[in-house]
Amino acid sequence: MSAEPLTGRHKGWDIAAVLARWLLGGLFLQMGLSKALDPVDFLKLVREYDLTQHPLLLNGIAAALPWFEVFCGVLLLAGVAVRGSALMLLAMLVPFTWVVFQRALALQADLGIPFCEVKFDCGCGAGEVYICRKLTENGLLILFSAWLLMGWGRSLCARYALIGAGAGKPGAEN
Amino acid sequence: MATVGAAIAFAANAVSPRGLALTRNYFPTAVQMAGPVPAALPAELGPAGTNAVGAAPPQPEAGSFDAESLRRADIDQAAALFRDPRYQSELVVFIDARDEAQYREGHVPGAYEFDHYRPEKQLATVLHVCQLAEQIVVYCTGGDCEDSEFAALALIGVGIPKERFFIYVGGMSEWAAHGLPVEVGERNSGTIGSAEP
Repeated sequence: MSAEPLTGRHKGWDIAAVLARWLLGGLFLQMGLSKALDPVDFLKLVREYDLTQHPLLLNGIAAALPWFEVFCGVLLLAGVAVRGSALMLLAMLVPFTWVVFQRALALQADLGIPFCEVKFDCGCGAGEVYICRKLTENGLLILFSAWLLMGWGRSLCARYALIGAGAGKPGAEN
Repeated sequence: MATVGAAIAFAANAVSPRGLALTRNYFPTAVQMAGPVPAALPAELGPAGTNAVGAAPPQPEAGSFDAESLRRADIDQAAALFRDPRYQSELVVFIDARDEAQYREGHVPGAYEFDHYRPEKQLATVLHVCQLAEQIVVYCTGGDCEDSEFAALALIGVGIPKERFFIYVGGMSEWAAHGLPVEVGERNSGTIGSAEP
């Protein structure tokens, strides 16, 4: 998106993007806190993905990821470094969605049930969920993150960009 | 920015009272036994020292011991041990390896709480009890739950002889499903209720 003043239609899209930013920020804040407040439960769930058995790596993921989500959520809610935050969310969401999908496939094979009837606690901070619903939700979150990464959602930002054109300008160039 | 976020995340974990110890192995498959003389507790198991426990030091053998070698108990054996007269004198003890919230929802009457992920609060008490006990039944939720094995390994690692342990595999869910007594709240609260199977 350019740095030119927004006209009516673009303004509407940008307001929608701001709502998406708040939704993303709020969700990540809530999901991150729920895991950060019970890291042992999250540690057990991360272990079930069998990504690594090395204690340092396993503990590092379970210890840092929830707080990292909180960090990104707060930045998005406040509108600070929005594109960078969106990029970090994408960097978490895409691989995480992939491993959730893989785990669901494994569970489906084990249980012999239709894919959409697979239900498990994926470590997302919302307890047990049906896999199709989870993948749909994650797909939407990925789309929203990509939308913000493209430069939308500049309104009502405390500091849209830390460096560059929009740095330090509340509401940026809108 | 990712670096700053990661630094903040690790710092938050470090200051959080519920934070994880990064170097600790929370899921041991084997344990190095302490040997004939009880060694000082590993730092990862918290600040409680062996001088916090009473007499009758155990005389376990030294060497490595893995979870697969732990003896298993089924519902009948667990119930028999619960009804054993020695249970009243704590020569038979039950250890609940679940977290505090689950323990308070319902546990085997008289069982000691021992969350091996956060052992600081209970370790000294549990260690003392286990040193005096002849048989120790450790359980968690049941099903895929492995916390009873991890808890037993943690206790073996600090000097409790491995021969005393039974892992009650069916766990609390099976116990409650069989209509066996369930104590709610703190240990010896006297409130006998029913837990959700």
